[in-house]
Amino acid sequence: MNKTSIIILLLVICNIGKITAEDYKASLFGIKSNGTTLNTTAIQKAINYIHEKGGGKLVFYVGRYLTGHIELKSNVHLQLEEGAILVGSTNIYDYNIDTPYSSLVFAYQAENTGISGKGVIDGQGRELAYNLTDQINKGIIADVMKYDRPGSRRPRAIYFRECKNVQISGIVIRNSADWVQVYDQCENLRIDGITVDSKAFWNNDGLDIVDCRNVKVTNSFIDASDDAICFKSHDATKICEDVEVRNCVARSSANGIKFGTVTAGGYRNFKIVNNKVYDTYRSAITIATPDGGAIENILIDSLYAYNTGNAIYLRIGARSRPEKRGTMTNITIQNMEAEIPATKPDAGYEYEGPVEDLPRNISPASIVGLPGQEITNVTLRNIRLVYPGGSNPNYAFRGTKPADLDSIPEMAKSYPEFSQFKELPAWGFYLRHVRNINFENITLTAKLPEYRPAVVMDDVKEARLSGMTYNEPGKGKKQLHTYKSSGVTQTK
Amino acid sequence: MNPGFRGMVASMILIVFFTLNVFAKDYKASDFGAKADGVTLNTCTIQKAIDFISENGGGRLVFEAGNYLTGSIYLKSNVTIHLDYGATLLGSTNPFDYVKDKKIGWMSMIFAVNQENIGISGKGTINGRGFITANNMVAYIHRGIFTDPLKLDRPNETNRPQNIYFRECRNVRVTGITLRDPASWNQTYDQCVNLYVADEIVDSKSYWNNDGIDVVDCDSVEIRNCYFDAADDVICFKSHDAKKICQNVIVDNCVGRSSANGLKFGTVSRGGFRNFKVTNLTIFDTFRSAITFAAVDGGEIENIVVDGVRSINTGNVIYLRIGDRWSQGKKPFMRNISISNVYAEVPFGKPDAGYNYEGPVEDLPRNISPASIVGLPDHKIENVKLKNIEIVYPGAGNPLYAKRGLTSAELDSIPEMRTAYPEFSQFKELPAWGFYLRHATGIEFENVTLTAQKKDYRPSIVMDDVTGATFSRMRFNEPESSGKEQIFRYKSENVMIK
Amino acid sequence: MKSIGLRWSVVFLVLTLTQTVWAKDYRASVFGIKSDGVTLNTRSIQKAVDFISENGGGKLVFYVGRYLTGTITLKSNVTIQLEEGAILVGTPSIYDYYTVDGMKALIVANNQQNIGITGKGVIDGQGTTVLEQINNQISKGYMKETALQASPALIAMDSCRQVTFSELNLVNACGNVQTYSGCRELTIRDVTVKSTVVADSKGLVLSDCNGVKLSKIYFETSGKECVTDGKSKNITADGCKNEMGKTVSAKN
Repeated sequence: MNKTSIIILLLVICNIGKITAEDYKASLFGIKSNGTTLNTTAIQKAINYIHEKGGGKLVFYVGRYLTGHIELKSNVHLQLEEGAILVGSTNIYDYNIDTPYSSLVFAYQAENTGISGKGVIDGQGRELAYNLTDQINKGIIADVMKYDRPGSRRPRAIYFRECKNVQISGIVIRNSADWVQVYDQCENLRIDGITVDSKAFWNNDGLDIVDCRNVKVTNSFIDASDDAICFKSHDATKICEDVEVRNCVARSSANGIKFGTVTAGGYRNFKIVNNKVYDTYRSAITIATPDGGAIENILIDSLYAYNTGNAIYLRIGARSRPEKRGTMTNITIQNMEAEIPATKPDAGYEYEGPVEDLPRNISPASIVGLPGQEITNVTLRNIRLVYPGGSNPNYAFRGTKPADLDSIPEMAKSYPEFSQFKELPAWGFYLRHVRNINFENITLTAKLPEYRPAVVMDDVKEARLSGMTYNEPGKGKKQLHTYKSSGVTQTK
Repeated sequence: MNPGFRGMVASMILIVFFTLNVFAKDYKASDFGAKADGVTLNTCTIQKAIDFISENGGGRLVFEAGNYLTGSIYLKSNVTIHLDYGATLLGSTNPFDYVKDKKIGWMSMIFAVNQENIGISGKGTINGRGFITANNMVAYIHRGIFTDPLKLDRPNETNRPQNIYFRECRNVRVTGITLRDPASWNQTYDQCVNLYVADEIVDSKSYWNNDGIDVVDCDSVEIRNCYFDAADDVICFKSHDAKKICQNVIVDNCVGRSSANGLKFGTVSRGGFRNFKVTNLTIFDTFRSAITFAAVDGGEIENIVVDGVRSINTGNVIYLRIGDRWSQGKKPFMRNISISNVYAEVPFGKPDAGYNYEGPVEDLPRNISPASIVGLPDHKIENVKLKNIEIVYPGAGNPLYAKRGLTSAELDSIPEMRTAYPEFSQFKELPAWGFYLRHATGIEFENVTLTAQKKDYRPSIVMDDVTGATFSRMRFNEPESSGKEQIFRYKSENVMIK
Repeated sequence: MKSIGLRWSVVFLVLTLTQTVWAKDYRASVFGIKSDGVTLNTRSIQKAVDFISENGGGKLVFYVGRYLTGTITLKSNVTIQLEEGAILVGTPSIYDYYTVDGMKALIVANNQQNIGITGKGVIDGQGTTVLEQINNQISKGYMKETALQASPALIAMDSCRQVTFSELNLVNACGNVQTYSGCRELTIRDVTVKSTVVADSKGLVLSDCNGVKLSKIYFETSGKECVTDGKSKNITADGCKNEMGKTVSAKN
């Protein structure tokens, strides 16, 4: 190599160095790692400074960094090195509680931003929520206290709104006072290799992706007391679309993977591939449109659920916005396995899911539209569901006579949850108000005898079943019951 | 070692072991189901264990390393709580988990009432977490669930749990442990007989009224080899009952740090204090006095020997005071006090600056206050001997900031403050920089060196209404003070300066 | 005689109305009661019950969550309302169950009136764990009682009047589920009783009670569903059945 080429190479490297954003150590800004100094203003100053200097990383090394609400800016990344913990203040007045975006780490209309590293964000959410509750109970803060908990103002650990090119990678997020992380109307969002461990308080959703476009969530582990991986659509003029979730593991005292509850706009073009759900109180996968949103082109492939209260729940409701009618079409669920336990799957976790809708025996997977508002074009392929069986008709009973089936309420206006109808007349699948559905190679197992058939269809049009296997102790039972249905065919 | 001897040693060890077993059986707290997870509330389980051991011949309740959450428990006869290294009794932060004992009228984590042969031992910790508990109590009071006037914006000290409160117990041994952060006083021994406290560490700056140790109306007390760092008075003797007295007390080899007083008699002093021997005492970074003896509630103070004091960076050194606060007709007296071998440094700045719950800045404006011995016109302090004493003051008393001169009018203007709370600073500016003596008889200073590091406008010693005083081998060091009369007499007689 | 009875019932009706007017709802969090499933709430709940009773009565409302507790004593004019999803969970720590006037239970009341528990929530005795702990302590010699004596019932009441339980789920008692002795005007309706985790857990034990209305109770118990003694009278049972679908009467 001659001299000139070395010089050119050096120049190139220098240039790259210049283009690549600079790193700033937290101590440069007087940010303290002792766990007791409140760093809010120093961290904010650092972010503003880096932003004004053209961007870069604010790097936190090992230590506990106490802070209140901070706002990320364009071209600024927080880098939490291994051992660094961003610790949320437990004083509720250290947060932006009088805005809709109450949060620890916030970003608004920022581009090229994010949080990375092997460090931790700890919201100290339980203490924070208790302190907020205390202020409300003393009458200092006015709040409706729905369910005896603060109805608003509880800070999320992360809230990104209307941001572009967001990268969240490697970090651990713990103990939020509300949802753990919200990405709301963001574009180009990458979440990779993160860990969520949050059973600190009510509504600890693990991950909420709201009306975002072009999202990839990969290789992450989420253990949360409320829905673990959750898509929402808050704005009727927006839609959540082009989303991929791959190689994630979820644990929840609510749902593992959930579309909803708030579904104003809708969801389009989702690929949920190769994920696992375990010790989860409600459904492994819930797709719900109770608020008029449109859901289409959803692929759930290779979903494995262990010790989970319910496998699949698809639901159209009409909770709000009666002028808009929710739709759900082109849903494919394939290569799925689920084991449903007889006991409470999330027993012993903090903030266990609430026991409700009793009395009922173990609920089946359910696909339930509304009269004249069917769920359409559903394919279920290569699915194996194992149930405990052993239902007791004296404890709770719903037979297959017309009167029994018609007694199941429509519950259009209710919160959609797999258990909402209380006792259902099937142990494997209950379908109502569905059009054009394929069952291909489905195995349903009940470990103990059941008083109910495996599958009940009510108001189902065009259902093709092939390769169905029913395993239940005893024999000679008719496992498929249809009612008010047409075009149902069953082949081997 | 020959085999026979070895065998003898082995059998001796066995005998020792056997003896221990006979007298104190060990029970593990975990065997009763106590959890060391810091989350499980163990109150009832620990109580059950104590009751069981007490009913079955006594023994030690042993806590192995870990955090044992608890509310109020009652120690019973013949039971010792033993805290292993790393074991912590962690106070619940819920005030409702504590009992306000009906007889005692205070809240506490560990109570004992009318028990004997009890103790707490080991290298473990009792941590009241009082800051959180006290603040939770404030929250309940604001919500109207608990009634308290919130005087000074804090719950009354009786509505905040102490770490230890033993009342009317005999043969009490508390050794080795560390006490941290109650919401009120750390440890109170009230009307106990045969109390032995040794090798304790108290680290407690968590909330108001964090006294280090309170010994109330006890008889036969030894406090040895303890270290105290507390927000309020650290070694504190009290007398709550006019018919009782605190007596026969040894305090040896203790070190204390306080945002109030070091060694204190009072404030509540109804019965009195008799026969004390305090030796080898070190006080540092302390906001008020190294030594305060107060008889303000009709009690007596008699036969007190303090020998060997090192007082470094302490706001005041000696404060002896008779008052007439809650005497209710009883006649207070203080006599036969001997204080010897003292070295003390008083700083110009605030000695406890930077500690949590710093002492309150009050009684301003005043220059640095002198050591003071102040009785009442009708209740004089009698027979005080001060021997081998050196006190280094900052001096620099500035008359433009605060002034109390030596005219009759100025000296008479010093209020008697009969019914006031006794504190070295209560008179605001005093006319001396070294010692102020008023209403006393039989005062003896021997080999006393008083240093002012900067010139002070006041003389070193002022006497007012002193009958019978002897000063021998006195030394005064003050810059630019040649010819200055350092001992000033007013309304005093029978004063000898050798 | 009749008119005196009528007059008293009018007075009583007025009193009841007055109570209704004054009765207040209190949220559990006001008393620092935690729904996290790990904080032992015994003394905070007791404080709340005492406070409400001393302040004219009312409801102590628990919303969704797990509320860990030891023995609590109900007081006059206090109703515990367990909203759907709220679980009162018996602590596994056995020394947190006290014997109150000879009764050992999670919820105890003696000589109180106008009390009850309502709502769609659950009271869970955690019988399996509690019994394990009891046997552990007995085997070590720390507990002198037999397992049967030491096992706490879910609910025990003595000499109470106007007691109402409705819409509840009572599950996993360590001893019997409910025992009432010397009670008057006892109403239990729409209650699910599931208690099979320990042997011989009886659903309902009535002795010397007068005026008991049982309706729509589902029993799934390891012991007898309902036991009454000869001294009890005026007991009606309507729509009560066991897990086999057999009607449960108040006479067995």
